[in-house]
Amino acid sequence: MKRSHYLLIGLLFLLFDGCRKTYEAVVPYAFTNTPGSGQFVPPIRQALEGVYTISNGASQFGDQAVLKWTYLLNGSDTTHYLSIFMGTDATYFNLEGSPEADSLVLKGYWRKLVNESIGEARLIVREKHNGKLQLFKGSLIPGDTLVVDGLYGDKSATPTNPLTLTYNRPLNPKPFSIMAHRSGGRTSDLLPASENSVEIIKLASRLGATGIEVDVRFTKDGVPVLYHDNTLNLRLIQKSGLAGPLEDYTYQQLSTLVRLINGEKIPTLEEALETVVNNTSLDFVWLDTKYIGPMDKVQAIQQKYRQKALALGRNLRIIIGLPTTEAVDSYKALANKDNTPILCELDTSITRSLNARIWAPRWTLGPQTDEVLAMQAEGLTVFVWTLDEPEFIREFISQNHFNGILSNYSPVVAYYHYIEQQ
Amino acid sequence: MRNIVTKICRWVGLLVVVPSFAQTQATETWPIQPGIYFPEAPLPGKWRKAVGVVFTTTPPELTEEIRVSVPAIDFNVQRGLTKHLFLTSRFQTQFVQSNLGLGVRWATPLTNRLFLSAGYDVTGWLGALQIKDVFASQAYGVETFPNVSVGYKLTKDLRLTVKSEAIIDLYYRSQVGSLAVVYNRRTINGVAFTFILEQPFYHQRHVSVGIRAAYSNFNWQLWSLFDTFDRNLFYPQLIFDFIL
Repeated sequence: MKRSHYLLIGLLFLLFDGCRKTYEAVVPYAFTNTPGSGQFVPPIRQALEGVYTISNGASQFGDQAVLKWTYLLNGSDTTHYLSIFMGTDATYFNLEGSPEADSLVLKGYWRKLVNESIGEARLIVREKHNGKLQLFKGSLIPGDTLVVDGLYGDKSATPTNPLTLTYNRPLNPKPFSIMAHRSGGRTSDLLPASENSVEIIKLASRLGATGIEVDVRFTKDGVPVLYHDNTLNLRLIQKSGLAGPLEDYTYQQLSTLVRLINGEKIPTLEEALETVVNNTSLDFVWLDTKYIGPMDKVQAIQQKYRQKALALGRNLRIIIGLPTTEAVDSYKALANKDNTPILCELDTSITRSLNARIWAPRWTLGPQTDEVLAMQAEGLTVFVWTLDEPEFIREFISQNHFNGILSNYSPVVAYYHYIEQQ
Repeated sequence: MRNIVTKICRWVGLLVVVPSFAQTQATETWPIQPGIYFPEAPLPGKWRKAVGVVFTTTPPELTEEIRVSVPAIDFNVQRGLTKHLFLTSRFQTQFVQSNLGLGVRWATPLTNRLFLSAGYDVTGWLGALQIKDVFASQAYGVETFPNVSVGYKLTKDLRLTVKSEAIIDLYYRSQVGSLAVVYNRRTINGVAFTFILEQPFYHQRHVSVGIRAAYSNFNWQLWSLFDTFDRNLFYPQLIFDFIL
């Protein structure tokens, strides 16, 4: 080739590289994380939960919204948050009560998980009495309606767009497990915390989750930690100079040298479960077996934190997931495995042969209604994984057979579950 | 859209101007050379055919740590209708998923070296995965590709083509087990730019070698990943075709 051809190729490469854009969603609001509920006392929080009709803002967020309170524990302190889930583009709001206000003010941000849309939100709770809006004082008389309205903005801009939510009906009360994949969601969905971090476990319930799935691997010196991929790579960690399988490094090396994308440490399994037990209201943890080898350490940790949860009066289920025949063999090799709860992702016959209490098929196999009903008739719980496509989430929930869905899009699962009318 | 057009014009200008510095403008008209991408119509009633392989590399957003270069067999057939107008058809398959495109193209020389064409292709794609305990899924859809190509004869037997396409989705349907989801809204899915060199290879055979850079919200070859990103991802493709 002539020199001009090399020059041409070089220029084209520069053009391609120059077109690459940064993809990010920076949270535009700093939470105060103030313990307590401020003006939002329990009866007000309880009254606020429900399915709302969206009037102003429907073109951006759809025509319905789900309002749900969650909380974080820190010792004897409890911090409350209001989440809003909407039916368009996997939208969620994460809000806190404004402590200094003398009215019911909520501040926070909204986000669409399918893209980088994000913005600040400032809302106020009112009641419509005799057709007029007035501040909500905590109790409604028949004929009055709750209205949550205010403004939302785009990115870091001051909120100027109107949003009005009007109470319609209570949330669907049917028990249903909404499990967040990778401890809360994917790093690639630009959540404010990295997947499989302690920080995202604390965020999971605000994303709609009632439980989480975590990925368990072992360090070189045998410490179980949370990490999804087969290698240390820039998809999940900041530049560190370390590469290759996580299993090649000691816990000390990982703890000292490696940080997840958003700056967090790779947590140990014990740190993760400590967080679930002490800080969250999550009721289910699915330990996905990403390692090949003995399962006794994970079994011991599962039993230890199950007991810790029971001591705190919580019925927290911590289940070991068996996704492969290797994991099944490791489980079979355990001593005293009868009291170790497991979830089997393989077919129904293997699930039955293991006496697993939970069967979890892939969603790409479809609803499998006959098999699901047969397993449930035998007393098993049936979850489906890892279902992210919003329209299929809606279809699976409307079919009403599964006991829960594992998803990277727990806000979407929460939305379609809570709006379902029995 | 204006940005895209501006970028295309810049690129085309660059491609035309840079080689011109190194080459003296030839005065004779060179004969039609076998080519599939070069914007020059086959003679009326004549066929052009090519067979080859297209490798599509999966975007990291979808396959995360795994980067797979998925090969598809690629058949191209063209037939001249008039001096400027010709039909195109293209079939790509990986056996579990296939894509058939039909189109029409109008081409004209601008100078004895610089050629231009405009075309419109409609493709239908189909995928089906039946793997025990993993997939019971299938999907199909329709896309269209309005396209413009600029070709430049670098030497007597080396031709460079730059093709730009808009990718427009017309219909998408996927099914898992008995549940189906359909999207039939017309949306611009993305754009693609193809850079192809066509030249003699051996025994009077010619080849097309190049890259296609697609920035799109959906790529038919990766339908089974059911991606949820509402943004254009980069799908680089390597193209190698023997012109028959």
